[in-house]
Amino acid sequence: MTYQTHRRVVITGLGVVAPNAVGREAFWHATSRGIPAIKPVLRFPTIDLRIRVAGEVCDFRVEHHIERKLANRTDRMTHFVFAAVQEALQDAKLILEHEDPKCVGAVIANTAGGVEYVLQQIEALHVRGPRYMSAYTAIAWLQVANVGQTSVQYGLQGYCKTPVNDMVGGLDALGIAYAAIRRGAADVLITGGSESLLHPCVLLILGQSDHCATGDDPHAYRPFDQRAAGTILAEGAGICILEEYEHARSRSVPIYGEIVGYGQTNDARGLQAPAYNGKQYARAMYLAMKEAQIRPEEIGYFSLDGRAIPQSDEAEVDALQRTFGADRQYLPVSIPRTMFGHSFAAAGALDTIIAVLAFQYGMIPPTINCEQLIPQYGLNLVQNEARPLSHSTALIGGRGIGGANVVLAIKKV
Amino acid sequence: MTYNTFKRVVITGLGVVAPNGIGKEEFWQACIAGRSGVRRITRFDASFLPTQIAGEVLVFDPASLGLTEEESTILDRGTQFAVAAANLAFHDSGLSNTLSESERNSMGVCIGTVMASVEEGEKLWLQFTGRGAHPPRALKQDIQPATLLMSYVPASAIAAHLQLHGPCTVISTGCSAGADAIGQAVWAIQEGRANRMLAGGSDSAINPTGINVFSVMKALSTRNAEPERASRPYDGQRDGFVVAEGAGVVLLEERDLALERNAHLYAEIIAFTSNSNGHHMTALPEDGEPLQHLLRQTLEEAHITPGQLGYINSHGSSTPSNEVAETAAYKAIFGEHAYQIPISATKSMIGHTQGAASAIETIVTALVLDRQLIPPTINQQQRDPNCDLDYVPNVARYADVNIALTHSSGFGGVNSALVLARSDWMDR
Repeated sequence: MTYQTHRRVVITGLGVVAPNAVGREAFWHATSRGIPAIKPVLRFPTIDLRIRVAGEVCDFRVEHHIERKLANRTDRMTHFVFAAVQEALQDAKLILEHEDPKCVGAVIANTAGGVEYVLQQIEALHVRGPRYMSAYTAIAWLQVANVGQTSVQYGLQGYCKTPVNDMVGGLDALGIAYAAIRRGAADVLITGGSESLLHPCVLLILGQSDHCATGDDPHAYRPFDQRAAGTILAEGAGICILEEYEHARSRSVPIYGEIVGYGQTNDARGLQAPAYNGKQYARAMYLAMKEAQIRPEEIGYFSLDGRAIPQSDEAEVDALQRTFGADRQYLPVSIPRTMFGHSFAAAGALDTIIAVLAFQYGMIPPTINCEQLIPQYGLNLVQNEARPLSHSTALIGGRGIGGANVVLAIKKV
Repeated sequence: MTYNTFKRVVITGLGVVAPNGIGKEEFWQACIAGRSGVRRITRFDASFLPTQIAGEVLVFDPASLGLTEEESTILDRGTQFAVAAANLAFHDSGLSNTLSESERNSMGVCIGTVMASVEEGEKLWLQFTGRGAHPPRALKQDIQPATLLMSYVPASAIAAHLQLHGPCTVISTGCSAGADAIGQAVWAIQEGRANRMLAGGSDSAINPTGINVFSVMKALSTRNAEPERASRPYDGQRDGFVVAEGAGVVLLEERDLALERNAHLYAEIIAFTSNSNGHHMTALPEDGEPLQHLLRQTLEEAHITPGQLGYINSHGSSTPSNEVAETAAYKAIFGEHAYQIPISATKSMIGHTQGAASAIETIVTALVLDRQLIPPTINQQQRDPNCDLDYVPNVARYADVNIALTHSSGFGGVNSALVLARSDWMDR
């Protein structure tokens, strides 16, 4: 019979590619000050599109992060991954030559795949003929390209996975990687999410749904607000180096935080937006807190999903009510992503990075755009300006279409 | 520090939608008879492509497999396969739709897929751009929202269909996706995150893009004149893999729970291991070194010796390099035993169903343990001197099998393995 040892899992390195900054320090600088970063889309004409503003990653020089030949054989989502992974490994002071490559892997989520790359190749196929499609199409386009190229680049021979879970994939990746290290399937995992879906075809599709705010207003992402009309899309990547606690201690490196709980449930609502009620989301909160052995009153910050669709927001408030009851008026909550948009699979990883940086700097970054917050929701929302963080435990929540609810519990070590 | 006992996980339901059969019995009979499901492509006019053959599911009636009218309208084909296979597995396990709320809360879904919704994505692009005549433009009529972003849908469609509230995720790790999804689900039950999981894989990408991405890599067989003979793993005349579509889903259950309700146990899953090549996106080196590491680790984690392995369902994709690497890895790790272990490749009959492949192969492996009968590798005509093991050529065979291995290697460099044991084996 096998015995399971509960190994501890800590975060020792961070890497960020976000619309408001590339690099974790610049990212914290912008995020903690509430600086808005949503702008009109510049990479292609949007005149015929309903979605015209987004969180675009602007100051990103591909050649700084990836060798040219490889850059041409990979999609923008993978370029983001290379930049974020490089930063995170350096931040963690992890020298892979000193590690057993079989104990090091990667869990990187992605939802849309290499949209830009594959659509160019579909064009080549249909306009010029089958022979004109690049031989690299499959490996550039498929979601697995991100972990595949990372493992080739760094010679990783351990556990590698690619979760695909709509807007919550990055958070799910952290949960899956945490569980893998905890049970001993790996010692170090390069973990997070990347997304690059700002393409006219994607905007055409999402512009028809009620999940995204349309029009030209860069402040239109307003969760829990009277005017809530959907999220604003973004691109980017967030990477955390997850490491077994003793392994990190033996290297004497600073520890940002510890992942102590992971809860995942499903509303079972098919393709519908998260709504209905918060029952299953509350159960994900409960499962994460139970695994973490933390009580509601110990939580100093809850990073919310904040979908900005009225019924989804109501369901999130319902979930908080079920979990925290009247005490939720004391629970500081925020959706810092209102500043730079929702980057699908990258979002949960960026939310987690913000939460561990909040531990480090003792501040909770604000939510912007919500001047007409619905008072009945009774949220203790950190608005417009950062607020001091009082406790050393945080929850990060996220939901996907169809009702995937993921909650991660983290703690300052 | 806390110590917990991992729970034991058994397979109690099988559901399969494959080019050579739908439902476990029809599929199994086809496999035992060595019937191929590879034909000339009918889903689109493939005459402009170098490869014009594939493993298609020719007769698929969603309604008769329990899908609602809405599901058969809005879900992409691969997702419909997934829901159908999940339904088949669910009912095969003897569970009924009267599960209690707490049972639904502790039952989840994990599905592997590689190319979900590429068919819809390609169609939309053609519409948005007038077949490439102009930049993408809005259409007059409404389209299904989020179609292009649907890779995660197979799992959430199953959860919605059966109203399951446990953990629900898609894993997209190339050709090992189905086994990875099953492995993750096994871990979820072992760790107590769920006590039942529907897990497996699905894919349907028989469309110009889905075929041609592999043609331009020169990875596909071009044996267009003899479709049934095109997928021939280990054979000296193999010239590439054959794209196929399908789904395979197993119902995994915590063993005590299954015993309590007198469920039929097809097999127990005693180990899941996974690693990465770390040197190449698509191919194993000739000596199969990463696969060697994986096999060694798998024996350790399953606490078994090579001599105990009674059957291997291999990756066997019918590409010239894969089977050489596989054979070399078996010999390096299993030594003399490599020559004694019967090995068969399901892909010889149905082609490569991508995200579904390793899930369907897990189903075959479970049935081998359950029925003590080994399906063949078909199309074995000319021996490849580098592939000199027992590939159960052309004809099925009875055998005593207590422990069996299935493994796969995929795009992106992930290799995964599952070890299954006869359900009564661990009690001895």
